Amino acid sequence: MTPLVKVSNLTKRFGGIVAVNDVSFEIYQGETLGFIGPNGAGKSTVVNCLTGYLPATSGKVEMNGVDITRMKPHERAHRGLARTYQIPRPFPELTALTSVLASSISGKKRVHQSFQDAMYDATHYLEFVGLFSKRNILARDLTFYELRMLELARALATTPQLLFIDEVMAGLNPGEAKNATRMIRRAKEEFGITVFWIEHVMAVLMEAADRIVAINYGAKLAEGTPDQVVSNDDVIEAYLGRGWREYA
Amino acid sequence: MVEMELKRDRIVIRLGTKKWEWVLEPRYWRNTLIWAAVLFIFPTVCYFVSPGLINTMISANIYAAIAMPLALMTIGTGRMNFGPQFYIGVGGYSAALLSIAYGWGPLTTLPFAILTSMIAALIFSPLVIMARGLYYVLLTLLLPLVFLEVTFIYPDIFKGDTGLFGIVPLLDTGNSKINFLVIGYISTVIMFVYLWIINKILKSRYGLLMASINDDEDVAHSIGIHISKIKIIAFVSASTMIGIIGWFYAHYFSSFAGITYLPLTFMLKVLLVLMIGGRAQVFGCVVGGYFVAFLEMLMIRFMGPIQPVLFPIILLALLFVLPEGLFGLYRKRRYREYLPTIHVRR
Repeated sequence: MTPLVKVSNLTKRFGGIVAVNDVSFEIYQGETLGFIGPNGAGKSTVVNCLTGYLPATSGKVEMNGVDITRMKPHERAHRGLARTYQIPRPFPELTALTSVLASSISGKKRVHQSFQDAMYDATHYLEFVGLFSKRNILARDLTFYELRMLELARALATTPQLLFIDEVMAGLNPGEAKNATRMIRRAKEEFGITVFWIEHVMAVLMEAADRIVAINYGAKLAEGTPDQVVSNDDVIEAYLGRGWREYA
Repeated sequence: MVEMELKRDRIVIRLGTKKWEWVLEPRYWRNTLIWAAVLFIFPTVCYFVSPGLINTMISANIYAAIAMPLALMTIGTGRMNFGPQFYIGVGGYSAALLSIAYGWGPLTTLPFAILTSMIAALIFSPLVIMARGLYYVLLTLLLPLVFLEVTFIYPDIFKGDTGLFGIVPLLDTGNSKINFLVIGYISTVIMFVYLWIINKILKSRYGLLMASINDDEDVAHSIGIHISKIKIIAFVSASTMIGIIGWFYAHYFSSFAGITYLPLTFMLKVLLVLMIGGRAQVFGCVVGGYFVAFLEMLMIRFMGPIQPVLFPIILLALLFVLPEGLFGLYRKRRYREYLPTIHVRR
């Protein structure tokens, strides 16, 4: 099976600090790949390198067999990469509808799509995330959960093949977190997208992810099914520290 | 091959894989038509009541016509340009030099003024990609001041302090009052054309992309917007529009001196028009232009020599009292009228 995205020996340095060190993995079509690691492990840096927000120092990123390592973020978006942010970054002066509309007209190129057609397209994604009734409200006036959902709608409106989700559960109460998980699953089923999910809440990934990649200090620690990864000694040590067995 | 289709309320245009819909809804034209009628009747009324007012109106229209492209540039690039008058200098000097050297009239110099402003804007357009924040402000602030120095360094070409004289006038009917009236109408037409074009751009898909860039450049890039392309197009087109105002000034006064337009005092006035109208609101620029021009006229008439000091103080005080600007106050409460909305009929 050919991977949708193939990451080979990805390295990112900030001066003398190696944030991502020789990381390689594959993302397959239709799967949910969990991406875990302690704070500061380099998870968001990997996403930033994959989406083109940060240029990789070395290594190679391929999508559908095409080298996208040096492509700009907008070119990657046109190829079907979309992302959400750890801390929501809405367009504060735009309404919910226009935020999603901007994605709809600028994402993957669509034939014969006028501004008005894109507007109806945007309403579909707003309806999907449950924000249709808030369509004419400025993004700055939305609640935190609504901003998360708006980000999801904005990412989906670019019609992605692969969606990067960066800690969607952060700052949500249990009820909202449950809704958000359900929404991502539904999005995956309805739009046929592949999900790359960074998350700290392991319970969510254990349930949702098909495979998990764990990293620490920028280097890959483990890769496998959720059960394999959580029982991996290196992963446990990365989270609990050396000598965790003494207290176990 | 362009395909056009007339539907009940819109014209649908298809070109290759692209599609545009031009919605024609006369029920929304009422307010525009009322304001257009008021502005077009105004010069004629002034002609009979107080012809001096036409001069103020021309100033107001031109302030608005400089501030509107600046608003477009601010939104489209996500940066505040502090030296828009540089392009007035470029457009004005090209028109003036060509008119004096070859005796060309305004219609002949116009394409050259447009071309030189466009080339100058293209040369400096990488600034909108490379510089941001304070660096961009400083660089754009320096451009007109450097140009002003150049006009003094090469007095044989630019005639330094005194400026260039003998430019073919914009209009010569033989009657100065009629000249004034017609130029008043020309300035109104320029202002209206700018308002129409910029408003159309801002309400189109490109306007939305510009608004996204203005809000968050990185996010706009990540959703697939080619931000460099949009920023350069916004910068170059707005600068060219400002350059045309330089052409207007040169032929309107039949003289052009960099010292009048390039220093900070002129820029301050334009920025105040932009801010008092309502922080880069295109309709606000018209409100701001008229407000500033008429306030300036009243102060010159009633305040006497203290006017140059009081005028900026009053405007700055207004900025504190009305941070959203005159039009911004209205827009803030009714933003839904300025963003595309979808209404559900129950």
